[in-house]
Amino acid sequence: MSNNNFNLPDYDIAASTRIRLARNLSGIPFPSKMSPDLLEDLKQRVKSAISDSNTPFAKSLKFIDMKDVPKIELGAMVERHIISPEFASKPEGRAIILSNDESISIMIGEEDHIRIQVILSGFQLEKAYDIAERIDTLLCDKLSFAFDNELGFLTECPTNLGTGLRASVMLHLPLCESSGEIKELRENINKIGFTVRGIYGEGTNSAASLYQISNQITLGISEKNAIDNLKIIASGLIEKERTLRSSLDITKASDTVFRALGTLKGCRILNSGEMMSLLSMIKLGVSLGIIKTEIDAFNILIENQKYMLMRKYGEISPDERDIKRADAIREVFKEICI
Amino acid sequence: MLCEKCGKNHATTHIKSVVNGVVREINLCGICAAEQGLGGFAQTGLAGMLASMLGDVAATGLSDGKRRCTVCGSAFSDIATTGKVGCAECYNTFKSELLPYLKRVHGATTHSGKIPNRAPLAVIPEEDSIDNLKLELNRLVSEEKYEQAAVIRDKIRKLEGEKNEQ
Repeated sequence: MSNNNFNLPDYDIAASTRIRLARNLSGIPFPSKMSPDLLEDLKQRVKSAISDSNTPFAKSLKFIDMKDVPKIELGAMVERHIISPEFASKPEGRAIILSNDESISIMIGEEDHIRIQVILSGFQLEKAYDIAERIDTLLCDKLSFAFDNELGFLTECPTNLGTGLRASVMLHLPLCESSGEIKELRENINKIGFTVRGIYGEGTNSAASLYQISNQITLGISEKNAIDNLKIIASGLIEKERTLRSSLDITKASDTVFRALGTLKGCRILNSGEMMSLLSMIKLGVSLGIIKTEIDAFNILIENQKYMLMRKYGEISPDERDIKRADAIREVFKEICI
Repeated sequence: MLCEKCGKNHATTHIKSVVNGVVREINLCGICAAEQGLGGFAQTGLAGMLASMLGDVAATGLSDGKRRCTVCGSAFSDIATTGKVGCAECYNTFKSELLPYLKRVHGATTHSGKIPNRAPLAVIPEEDSIDNLKLELNRLVSEEKYEQAAVIRDKIRKLEGEKNEQ
């Protein structure tokens, strides 16, 4: 994610957009019932399907066998949202095909044979779907996908059946959270086939006031309609958050934001939870114009997670990690005046 | 409140699970939550719910329990236990058992949307589309092939210029 993120659509509130398409090959069991030999064969078939397409796009992707990836890097890939925690937990027999900028990842051998994932910064549902759809079509041309005229694309979990599409938008909603808007949303959004989760997933509260809104229904609704509906819901939340922000008492808001900044500039020990809460305040402060900086709080938040730090400093203890995190964060914010 | 696992950090994540009617709640810090595999974009949580719904079908004897999928060997009880289907053929073998529950989960039982191999091939990126050229440019820069990258960059500028003129 580049430093030009500030120019992206709705980046003041929308951290990222994700599209995932679940696909399976016909004639072989789903991954949890596959032998190591079958999984190896699957990896090679998907790899060849991409490389044989001979497009510049294919050349920009790299194939990574998960068994060759060290444990720390696996954790760091989860923190960067490249792979799912479940995928990282069992690397044997699995592989990914990854773009240079890590916005495209094709997981092979996850819950489904193929999971095409596109993550873009900001609020870019159509663009993310367009990229995922092109990859899907390219693979579809080379591989025989399990598809039923009545049930659509067949998946290991029936909750993904049909389009196999999961579209999500990660939103930063500190004001909607404190006003009780999120609680109300959680209670009602399921009724219309969507779900709201904290950053750590199903059934969790949010850290850093980040919430992901996703579609739940995949059968009987087209990709376009699912995406259009998500767009309406997310846009409504973005507008609500902006309205609440516009009515903030600027002195009180500045006090909270600058206190957070003061802690980040002076801390010597910083755990992940505290970092996320403070960066949430910085992100709010930047979007309100209280702090003028090009520093991207969303990126800093990811770069200073547990495995991302260990990737840089080796296998250090939790206490050492909190010290390294504090050092890194002080360095990031040292140029900003209070 | 402190994290119930490490007892050191503040709990930021509240997890509530219901298994066979037994409610369990635990409060974790961000680090322990991530260690429990609760990091990143969420997995669907409906699988567990579906397993309990399908378990009801198995218990009521709607499925004869003897039939097995010819491709993966799964019985319906396997699907009911895990909430996960063994292979694509299972949907054919156990369709009558699955359909009422697909209706409950999705509110529908008929696919609407993309159909494979019927999508126009034109949607595959053209070699000289701006998006493709940008991907190629990124690749060349990452490989430090700057001269070739400059050629692609000029191509992009030309195409973007033409696009703006339209």
